[in-house]
Amino acid sequence: MAAVEFTRIQKRFGNTHVLQGIDLAIRDGEFLVLVGPSGCGKSTLLRLLAGLEAVSGGQIAIGGREVTELDPKDRDIAMVFQNYALYPHMTVADNMAFSLEHRGRPRAEIKERVDWAAQILGLSALLERYPRQLSGGQRQRVAMGRAIVRNPQVFLFDEPLSNLDAKLRIVMRSEIKALHRKLGTTMVYVTHDQVEAMTMADRIVVLNGGRIEQVGTPLELFDRPANRFVAGFIGSPAMNFIEGRCTSMGFEAGDGAVLPLPCMATRPEGTVVYGIRPEHFERCAPDDGVAAQVLGVEPLGSDTQLNLRLADTEVVALFHERLVVQPGDTLHLRPRLAAVHLFDGASGRRLGAG
Amino acid sequence: MHGRLPPRTQAALYGLMCLLLVPFVFPTWWMVTSSVKPISEIFAFPPQLWPTHADWSSYQQVFTLQPFARQYWNSAWIAAVVTLGTLGVASMAGYAFARIRFPGANALFVVVLTGLLIPSEVTIVPLFQMFRAMGLVNTHWPLVLIPIFGAPCVFATFIMRQFFITLPAELEEAARVDGLGRFKIFRTIALPLARPALASVAIFTFLHSWNLYLEPIVFLSTPSLFTLPQALTQFTDAYGGPMWNIQLAAATLTALPVLLVFVVAQKQFIEGLAHTGLK
Repeated sequence: MAAVEFTRIQKRFGNTHVLQGIDLAIRDGEFLVLVGPSGCGKSTLLRLLAGLEAVSGGQIAIGGREVTELDPKDRDIAMVFQNYALYPHMTVADNMAFSLEHRGRPRAEIKERVDWAAQILGLSALLERYPRQLSGGQRQRVAMGRAIVRNPQVFLFDEPLSNLDAKLRIVMRSEIKALHRKLGTTMVYVTHDQVEAMTMADRIVVLNGGRIEQVGTPLELFDRPANRFVAGFIGSPAMNFIEGRCTSMGFEAGDGAVLPLPCMATRPEGTVVYGIRPEHFERCAPDDGVAAQVLGVEPLGSDTQLNLRLADTEVVALFHERLVVQPGDTLHLRPRLAAVHLFDGASGRRLGAG
Repeated sequence: MHGRLPPRTQAALYGLMCLLLVPFVFPTWWMVTSSVKPISEIFAFPPQLWPTHADWSSYQQVFTLQPFARQYWNSAWIAAVVTLGTLGVASMAGYAFARIRFPGANALFVVVLTGLLIPSEVTIVPLFQMFRAMGLVNTHWPLVLIPIFGAPCVFATFIMRQFFITLPAELEEAARVDGLGRFKIFRTIALPLARPALASVAIFTFLHSWNLYLEPIVFLSTPSLFTLPQALTQFTDAYGGPMWNIQLAAATLTALPVLLVFVVAQKQFIEGLAHTGLK
């Protein structure tokens, strides 16, 4: 186990700045998830930590030891790749034993470690099979087994579940989390799936355009997003944004509709963005809320998701009940004030305590 | 899909395939059967597809008229060394061109490829002069060194490079994390996975060396050093005319290893194709 520290990390590919001064401290034994849209630099940051790419500037330390210039083999890390990267010409047992054999560990120790890892991951019956004889989930487990036999200081996961179907992804998610609880080793996990990030992470790092937008626990990011990007990225379905201005009446949207504002010490000036999550709308009487026209209905069984036009903006609302509505119907909605966020129109920064 | 075809269509297709086989199979058939016919029967009209009386003495004469066993050995060891040498050089060069990023790599590869555009007839005289200066004329060295470091190896390098380019980079990255250096990654990960490409390179390199004709007739003058294609031309009578049945017996013996290599390496080829463990 070890803490990891990134200090002013820069990475350039030619003229493209992929990472622009990343400062990040990962705690010992923490499960940290790097999340962000494609091209945000999350995989690059992981590869820099693995030593598979060289930094253009800055320093990386693992367990207090600077590793910036070290080869991957000297960093005491193990990595699980998106495509599993199992050696196709080796059996499961050989794949798992490979790194230990290369490091000249005694045969008895290798067998013990491989059997231990296979037992933890439910692979004991598959040790003599080749990767091509395994299902996607089994291959993923072998990839994890290959990582844990080494007992490294840090585990790195690069979108390890993205090739699995939705059902298996949920199973593997909890298996990885259980593995973390069992081993207690520091894990750094890259994904573009915010649900994966929310369900697995001790802390989440949201990256965008090579910069860190926010670092925090899943609920901190959900409840108090630092800016409009994080607010839109975390949560599914995504937060709704309505542009307008704050007046003495409340929040005045572009079409003149007025939405209630939470209590604030000072009224924000200029263009403001009103943020409300789909599940934070409530149905109300006509004179108690804003009219919204139903554009589409998505019945989800226990929930109903509606696509609506509200204050001249298309929004999504999620109700934990079965609603009988048709496209073209008009509903009256009221946002839950405690869950409303206001963002600065220019910078996207969250305003006040909203 | 073939199972769904009506029986008549299937029969017609098989008939067509048999017909198309004739131009390929007939010369081999004629060579093998004529090697045990007396000369009069070879030129009989109408032609006799099956010998009336198999006369195996021509095979005996092959070995008495020429040091054929020695020549056979010459061809075999030269082809084996050339094949191994080419596999070594081409796999390492192909891997380097595919995987090692260094300035001017692509330009250098283009320069190497231009070697394929130069016919061997153009370079044979300067090569002869070079080997004569080195005192290696009338030895087997030119027949070993020219294919390993010449145009045939460029083609082999090209095949290996194209294969290594398709090998997922994650495999090598996983090996780096597992603690392997560049050469060990090549030897323990990349090379075992390159069996299909190595098999094709081995097949064509062996065949090329086995059938090599121009270089042996230029560089070799002692019969005991001859290789088989060169030796085949030596089975002539006192007037310089070919001794057909003996020559065809020698040709049959010459063709045997080629068939053997193809059968063995083809199995490797199919096995190698099944080696795709990545999703």
